[in-house]
Amino acid sequence: MAVDPKDTQFINQLLNGDKNALYLLYDKYSSALYGVILRMCGDEGIAQDLLQESFIKIWQNIGSYNSQKGKFYTWAYRIAKNTTLNFLRKSSPLIQTDDLSVYENKNPEAEIKDYSDLNGILAELEPQHQTAINLVYFKGLTHQEAHKEMNVPLGSFKSYIRQGLLKLRERRSELLMIVLLINVCGHG
Amino acid sequence: MDKKQILEDGLLEQYLLGELPHDQEILIQKVLDQDDDLKNIFNDIEEEFERIAFENAINPPEKVKKALIRELESSKENIKIRNINVPQKRNTLYSGRLAVAASMAAIFALSSFWLYNRWQASEQNLNSLQEQTIALQERLMLLEQNIEVTTQRYMTINSRNVIPLLLKGNQTLPESRAVAYVNHETKSVLVNSQGLPPLEEDKTYQMWADVDGVMINMGLLPADSDLIPVKYIDKAESFNITIEPAGGNDHPTVENLISNVLL
Repeated sequence: MAVDPKDTQFINQLLNGDKNALYLLYDKYSSALYGVILRMCGDEGIAQDLLQESFIKIWQNIGSYNSQKGKFYTWAYRIAKNTTLNFLRKSSPLIQTDDLSVYENKNPEAEIKDYSDLNGILAELEPQHQTAINLVYFKGLTHQEAHKEMNVPLGSFKSYIRQGLLKLRERRSELLMIVLLINVCGHG
Repeated sequence: MDKKQILEDGLLEQYLLGELPHDQEILIQKVLDQDDDLKNIFNDIEEEFERIAFENAINPPEKVKKALIRELESSKENIKIRNINVPQKRNTLYSGRLAVAASMAAIFALSSFWLYNRWQASEQNLNSLQEQTIALQERLMLLEQNIEVTTQRYMTINSRNVIPLLLKGNQTLPESRAVAYVNHETKSVLVNSQGLPPLEEDKTYQMWADVDGVMINMGLLPADSDLIPVKYIDKAESFNITIEPAGGNDHPTVENLISNVLL
C-alpha cells in the first residue's frame, strides 16, 4: 500500500495526541469525505455534522488504523460512510434490510437539491459504469444492494465496476500521454 | 480461492469498501500479503478510488473545522457532536425546556413536601381532636350523671315532705355546720357536710340516730361533701355527729360529740 509519507507523519503525530496533525489531515481529506457524505445524505447541515463526527471518530480511533491494510483515505472513508449510514438508519424508519441500508425511501429533501452530479473522469464514463461506481463509492450501497438498485444481475454489476475502473485508468493514461506529448512538443 | 475468482467476484473492490464478512476479509488480507501481483492490482483500485473521491470533493464550510477544533480543544473527554448550524438555538431550547422541567419538578417536589407536612399536621390535629372529643364525651357523660344525681337530690331536698335540720357545732367544735334533709315519706336522709371542718387522716365524722336512748349508726360523713345519703332510722328522736377513728365505730364516743339536733 503506497501510503503518503506525509500522512504517515501526521498519523504518528496523531497517535502521540497531537491535535494539529488531525487538523492537517482534515485540511487534506475533509473535502473528499464531505463529497461522499453529502451525496449520501443529501443535506448540507446534516453532512457537516456527520463530517465533524467522522473526524472526531478518527481522532478517537486512530490507534486502530493499520497502514499495512490500506491508505488513510480508505480507512477514513469507511468511518465517514458508516457514520452516515448509522445516521440514516436512525433517522429513517423505513430503511429495513438485512445488511443495513437500502435507499428505497430517499429523504424527500435530498431529492430537492441534487448532489449526485459527478465530476472528473468518472463523469466521462458510460452511464452504466458511472452509475455502478457512484452507487458503491458515493451512495454507500453494498454490491448486493447496488445491483438491485440498478436492476441488473450481481455478476453484471461487478463487471460494470471492474470495467469502469479499468476505463478510468485507461483514460488517465491517455490524458497523461497527452500531457507528456504537449510538454514534449512545447519543449521541442 | 484463486486470483481469477477474486478479481471476477469483485472481492478486491468489496474489501476496499469494507463490505466483506470478517472471515472473508481476513482471507483476502492474507492473499494480498502473499500475492504481489494481486496486491498491485488492489493498490491501483485504491489509488483510483481516492482519485475519484478527490475529483468529486466538495469543500465543507470553514465553520465545520472551527466546530471540530472548538470541540476537541474544549473537552478532553466525553466529546459530543454539536449541531454546527443551529447549536445555540438547540441548546437554548433544550436548556429552556430543561430549566422549565427542572423548575416544575422543584415546584412539584416542594408542593408535595408542603402538602405532606400539612397532611401530617392535619392527621395529628384530627387525632388530637378525636382524643379531645372522646374526653369531652366522657366528661359530658359524667356531667350528665352528676346533673342527674344533683337534680334528683335537688328534687329530693326541695320536696314538700323534706325537713331540713341544721346540725350546729357545740362548744367542742363550734364552727362546724351540717344540714340533714329528712323525708319520712320516702324514708331517706341526705346530709350536706360542707360545713364540717377537715379532720386528721385517722379521724372521721360519723352520724347517729337516737332511738329510745340507743344510738344507732347512720353512716360516715366525709368532710366537705354535699348531700351524702345516710341510713334512715325509724322513730329517731335526734341526729348526732361524733368524731370517731377512721373507718367508723360501733358505738359513739360521747365525749367527741360535736353536734346534735332534735327531730
